[in-house]
Amino acid sequence: MSSILDVKNLGFSWGSNTVFQELNFSVESNQIIAILGKNGAGKTTLLKCINRILKPETGTVSIDSKDISELELPELSKMVSYVPQSIMSSFPMQVFDVVLLGRRPHINWVVGNEDREKVSETLRFLNLEEFAFRYFNQLSGGERQRVIIAKAVSQDSSIFLMDEPTSDLDLKNQIEIMKKVKKLVSDKSNEKAAVVAIHDINIAARFADVIFLLDEGKIFSQGSPEEVLTEENIKHVFGVTSEIIPKTRKNPMRIFIKDEISPKGKDVN
Amino acid sequence: MDALSKKHIVNAQKQMSWVLLLSAFTLIVSVVAIGLGSSQNLDFFTTLKILFGIESAGELEAAIIWELRFPRILMAIVGGATLAIAGSLMQGSLGNPLVSPLTLGVASGAALGAALAIILDFSIVSNSNLAIVFNAFLFSLIVVAIIIQLGNYRSVSAESYILVGIAITFIAGAIVSTMQYFATDAQLSQLAHWSFGSLSRPTLVNTLWVSVALVGLLPFAFQKAWDLNTLALGGDDFAISTGVDPVKTRKHILILSAFMTSTVIAFTGLIGFVGLAAPHMGRLIVGNDYRKLIPCSAIFGALLMLFADTVGRIAFAPIVLPVGIMLSVIGGPFFMYLLLKNRGLGH
Repeated sequence: MSSILDVKNLGFSWGSNTVFQELNFSVESNQIIAILGKNGAGKTTLLKCINRILKPETGTVSIDSKDISELELPELSKMVSYVPQSIMSSFPMQVFDVVLLGRRPHINWVVGNEDREKVSETLRFLNLEEFAFRYFNQLSGGERQRVIIAKAVSQDSSIFLMDEPTSDLDLKNQIEIMKKVKKLVSDKSNEKAAVVAIHDINIAARFADVIFLLDEGKIFSQGSPEEVLTEENIKHVFGVTSEIIPKTRKNPMRIFIKDEISPKGKDVN
Repeated sequence: MDALSKKHIVNAQKQMSWVLLLSAFTLIVSVVAIGLGSSQNLDFFTTLKILFGIESAGELEAAIIWELRFPRILMAIVGGATLAIAGSLMQGSLGNPLVSPLTLGVASGAALGAALAIILDFSIVSNSNLAIVFNAFLFSLIVVAIIIQLGNYRSVSAESYILVGIAITFIAGAIVSTMQYFATDAQLSQLAHWSFGSLSRPTLVNTLWVSVALVGLLPFAFQKAWDLNTLALGGDDFAISTGVDPVKTRKHILILSAFMTSTVIAFTGLIGFVGLAAPHMGRLIVGNDYRKLIPCSAIFGALLMLFADTVGRIAFAPIVLPVGIMLSVIGGPFFMYLLLKNRGLGH
């Protein structure tokens, strides 16, 4: 497998507060990468640096061996799509037109039939057909989140950056959306990958191929869910005790968080 | 082609049919508006006959139609359309439905320029009538330039532009108030009349200037349509993720909108309501796709101005009420009705 995203010596600070420093990692195609960490660990900031929403203080981000700081924004948006935590608009726009915005990097001015068909295909793929001609600002938080994921999918980029993509979704939709993302990314005919910042460690354990556990501005642990999500690591990073139920043929790996909180008084999610 | 794509095309065609229908309606209203007036020498049907070449006009009739009513009607259409487009651009680029073309200090700048010309007799132009127009145009642009510069210092978010705009509006307002405190009654009266916003001042040449400005600037507005769609929907992060530079786009839009607004209000005085309401009326028909919203807002802007001015001319004839006042009196309740009927701005 080839690496499609390379992050080297990445560092970012808000004034004198260092969010992270010297982050180094690569993302290979056909993988879901989950980024875990407590509040303020820099998950969202990292995604925004990869998408050039924020300018890193040090280091480089390369996609397909191209340094993103040297790319024009429209060119970059053909390579990376981004799902923010939430979006609320005051203006009326139908769901079809919102998803069509994902085609913005591919459209000059006139919408072509191939763009419309891409949007229709995406809406069908994510079971959003019934919402196609409803107004985005009249949908619930979870419905809006699914529409924004559809917009990212219609963008047809090789890397999906997703910030808490399941935070507003009900239990069924959490599983369904992550299954769709998995299906999209693991299709070997495409070279795609998803980098997902997430709080739900059970979702991460079930769907991620690789997990990065952020702590104190560094990658504390990285590897497969079994390697990273250990009771020790969870206690160290989140300050809670847990019990790990290993993956079986029928069930994914599961993590139960217990009531005891670490005496260190770390931030608990 | 699949069913969803087909429905999207049919919806777009329906929306464009509405835009065409409204354009035709505007044309009819403007012909009717030319026919209506307070002159006892020229009734409605005689005017229509002259307009369509069925009857020839005497010297007085020709003067009333072509020198008084025609420039006025044309200014209502062009001015209303320009202010409405400027309003839609500002609302989209700042992601705020409460913004109008006058929000960012354009009005306070124009008022400051007019006050300097009327009260202190300060202008580069010596002709007193032109001095007010020139000062209003120049100072509204200066104020917007300051706002853009100050916005750059603080940060470049939509909120920082609005906040700096509010601060500058207060400062410019205080300077105007100070000048008013020392002004004569005649000067105060002239400034008050200027601030009402009226279509009786602009001449045909003035109107043609505004028309040229609109036609010249319109392609730039259309060019930004997709960028505005993304900015209005999801703000800066969302725009960047779809390949749009929000900072550059916002700055270009503010300059474009300021030029459009200043060109109109320099000739007409302060007309604010149309730039706030017309874009929302347009959204009720075509949604927030700026490729369709720009022309649809323009039509509603023209219609609102035409209707308000015509009522202002005939309601208390021979007294003509300024269009700025009539717009608020007629447009305000109509706008509220539309919003309540459609349960808010988002339909």
